[in-house]
Amino acid sequence: MPRKILCISRRDFIKLAASGAAAAGIYPFVSGMPYTALAAGEKLRMWWWGEQEAPGLEKWVKDSVAMFEKETGVSIEVTLQDTATVISEFQTASAAGNAPDIQFLWNGIYHMESVWLGYLEPLNGLIPDELLKEADATVLSIYQGKQYRLGWYAVSLMWLYNKEMFDKAGLNADEPPTTWEGLLDTCDKLKSKGFTPIVAGLKDGFWGEWYMGHALGPNLDSPAETLKLFIGELDWREPKYYEHWSKLEQLWKAGYINEDMNSIDLYPGMDYFGAGKGAMTAIVISTLGKQASMLGAEKVGLMVFPAGGKGKMNNKPIRDLQGLGISSQSQYKQIAAKFLEFLHTPERVQAIWTDSKALPTDASWDGSAIEDPLFREAWKTWVANPDTVPYISNLMPVMFWTDAMFVNSQKIIAGEYNGEQAGENAQVVATKWREQNPDLLEHYQIWAEDLKL
Amino acid sequence: MLRTKPWTPYLYLAPVSLLMLFVFGYPLIAIFDFSMRRIRGASGPFIGLENYRQIFKDEVFQQAILHNAQLLLAVPILVLVGIVLAVLLYERAAGWRVYRTILFAPFIIAIPVIGIVFSNMLSLNGAVNELLRAVGLDFLALDWLGSAQMALWSVMAIIIWHEMGFGVVLFLARLLSLNEEIQEAARIDGAGWWQRLWYVTIPQLKDVTEFYAVVSIITMLAWVFPFVYVMTRGGPGNATQVMELYIFNFAFRNSLPGIASAVAVILFLITLALMIPLFQLRARTEMEGVE
Amino acid sequence: MSVREMQAALKEARSTARISVPRRQVEWSLITKQLVLLLAAFSVLFPAYFMVITPLKTQEAYSLSKLGFPTQIYLGNFETALRGGRFFLWFGNSIILSVGAVALSTFVAAMGAFATSRMNFRGRNLLLSLISSLMVIPPVVMLIPLFLFLTRIKMISTYPGAILVYAGLLAPFSVYLLNNFFRTIPHEIIESALMDGASPLDILFRIMLPLSAPALMTLITVNMLWVWNDLLIALVLLPEDSMRTLMVGITVFGSRYNADVPVSMAGMLMASVPIFLIYLLGQRYFIRGLVAGAIKG
Repeated sequence: MPRKILCISRRDFIKLAASGAAAAGIYPFVSGMPYTALAAGEKLRMWWWGEQEAPGLEKWVKDSVAMFEKETGVSIEVTLQDTATVISEFQTASAAGNAPDIQFLWNGIYHMESVWLGYLEPLNGLIPDELLKEADATVLSIYQGKQYRLGWYAVSLMWLYNKEMFDKAGLNADEPPTTWEGLLDTCDKLKSKGFTPIVAGLKDGFWGEWYMGHALGPNLDSPAETLKLFIGELDWREPKYYEHWSKLEQLWKAGYINEDMNSIDLYPGMDYFGAGKGAMTAIVISTLGKQASMLGAEKVGLMVFPAGGKGKMNNKPIRDLQGLGISSQSQYKQIAAKFLEFLHTPERVQAIWTDSKALPTDASWDGSAIEDPLFREAWKTWVANPDTVPYISNLMPVMFWTDAMFVNSQKIIAGEYNGEQAGENAQVVATKWREQNPDLLEHYQIWAEDLKL
Repeated sequence: MLRTKPWTPYLYLAPVSLLMLFVFGYPLIAIFDFSMRRIRGASGPFIGLENYRQIFKDEVFQQAILHNAQLLLAVPILVLVGIVLAVLLYERAAGWRVYRTILFAPFIIAIPVIGIVFSNMLSLNGAVNELLRAVGLDFLALDWLGSAQMALWSVMAIIIWHEMGFGVVLFLARLLSLNEEIQEAARIDGAGWWQRLWYVTIPQLKDVTEFYAVVSIITMLAWVFPFVYVMTRGGPGNATQVMELYIFNFAFRNSLPGIASAVAVILFLITLALMIPLFQLRARTEMEGVE
Repeated sequence: MSVREMQAALKEARSTARISVPRRQVEWSLITKQLVLLLAAFSVLFPAYFMVITPLKTQEAYSLSKLGFPTQIYLGNFETALRGGRFFLWFGNSIILSVGAVALSTFVAAMGAFATSRMNFRGRNLLLSLISSLMVIPPVVMLIPLFLFLTRIKMISTYPGAILVYAGLLAPFSVYLLNNFFRTIPHEIIESALMDGASPLDILFRIMLPLSAPALMTLITVNMLWVWNDLLIALVLLPEDSMRTLMVGITVFGSRYNADVPVSMAGMLMASVPIFLIYLLGQRYFIRGLVAGAIKG
């Protein structure tokens, strides 16, 4: 078996890459880093996730790996991870000194914890600064000035509304509500026409997390506030911080949400919208295509949730994205970095869109060429727009999701909690987390400083 | 007994013993160690009993234990349903073989399948409520899995549904191995059906009942994970949170295997505490049988 | 049940009924018994009906009526389910794991049980009761150390790693059952084999195991079913997508298609039919196997 050595000079590399890819429109990616040799029979290992939310990505990953191997001789073993264990698996493997070279990373705390534990390598220095900026992965991927993820595809959060129903209810179908009063009024009019104003599914809990992202954010001035709530410098029992849960109670009690909300999951709830059974719903951008094709794209309107907040983050689109990073234990960090760079060549970036209809997040990718007006608008406002906010639910550890975000919303719908009690529970959970994770607390404090926008 | 070289028996026992050390021995020691550390990844600093302090003050854990305890209520139901149905089959009710095949079937259907089917059927606008509404029982059309009051009971009913068949065939098998004369004698003496059940059949089934109760207790304490994981993930709120899910969440979602191990230790001790008296009881009755 | 069967049953019941018991009372008690059994059978058949009928409907037909019979049979759901789920891969993984684990556990348990049932040595009873008592310990207790250990030795998401764990979990019950069964084999048979110069291994494999065929069949059935139906261990020890078992696969499949109930039910049906057929054919072994541990003799 021939040794696969990657000791080629920069020039050879360019030639190699160009020869293989020129026709396909790949420009050679260069950063001038010397290669370390890959030992005989060794492969880079990459663990990823994403096919679950953007079907088609598996093909994209496989193609990318095959192309990279063809050009560089480096083979990569890719493993699609399961949703339930994608985080713990990487941490455990890292602790055992057995981490993959390249790892898929969810935003915010999901990879920040690994950063604090020393399992992730800063990309600065490995990846050219230009690309770091172009393929940025939101402020939630930066800790003490170092970037740990390279952006991949968008998972921005938005709301949809049914233009036809708005028309029938005598509402302006081109101007969705932007204030809380406006939302209540809209719901009222829709309801009086026999439409269910909001459709959602909360049984699996995730809608509770989305809702907090949409409705608490607008009351904040910066994401740092969320962290301060968490590290105990601010208090969840302040009306400002639990008001959004009171608002959920208000929407529920007024009968503005489908009554089986607590007995169906997130996606079936969302599909009520596509099936024309409800006027508004929360989605993640990767599901836009499905809803639009179910309902008819011409009837779908995009909106920011009008939470009626009093903070600087009010009425701003939420931009979020998935990304990839490099393990601090990798023997071949430079090669791994090369692969990540390769994934950001224009041809590969374009292929994300063509293969999976997920929206690439690279600044250089021009979405204005998208034919579908709905996707073009989504891309413009929720991906390429500089005036967006990060998704604050991603700043909270999983325990806060399961024990506070999920539980609070479900209990409000079940009539067990009011907004204030939800706030109290959030305070209890945050305190519990602090006590159980004293070693992570300090990092959280530093991060809070970093995140003051 | 075979005459062997002194070390031969140990040689035969070596493979299974090694396997036991790997699957039970090492982990049972390790959880005690892990439970006193703040594990990050594979190890971490020693923190004494802090993990235990944390779980005992965690309301969610208290709920989880309470829910497991509440699920134990299913044990007498399972025993009763099992005995009654088994007796009916034993009395050769018309079509008993067909009934036996039907009643045992849920036990072999995969739990995730059961969970997914019932989740759909029990949703607010699902098949069960459609049926109830169709027969005019609208007031019974509840949010079976979506309301905090009902969810655990619904889960319990589904567990009973799944486990019921095992009890039926178990009791039936025992009944078939019994001496029929006692039953006959009771009948001739004019004992009614219930009287015979209570004074003759149930005492005769004592050993199987004990076995079945033990199996069901363990099931309710430590084997309900797949039901809860598939149907409710512990929700709504924490209404169906149980110890296994709590362990799973802390180990694989909250990245705190130390706390999860502390719960594993507690679950282990609970199992021991419940099982030791039962084994003693069993040993004693066997001794009596010998004498 | 047909009317004729019912009449036949009643007739039979009357003929066996004691003279002291009034006829009418017997009929009533028969009807009550049938009602109880019918109710229990209904509780089982209702979900089965739902599972069979739903995949034959389109999404629209389902949303209109959850219980009604489809006006038009639609088979597209099975196609979608087959495309959306890797059923063959999952089936394959589950088969490899359950066959592997059961083979290994039966082998080591037979060796061990042979020693505990037929050989004399110090600590025999202690060892036997120690091993069989492990039966009651819930697997979730051991899960975290096993997960960390298998990760450390790079055996996570591998067949051998999971098979070792499953086999270990099955072994206590297997030793217990085989030990009890081996003890019932008459000593004379073994004596005569010894006369012919058989070694202990010969006795185990040529005599004990063939004579234990019924016990082995039941043991294998129970253990297979156990591994086949496990969710927790497979979820944790086989996190890789391509290593999913049928149980994990359908769990994930179910949540992926939770918005499309007919497709989801098509998947559930396809996943259940093979096992159900095996059950109908081998009912005897299933039932005997599952009661074997509880009833002596």
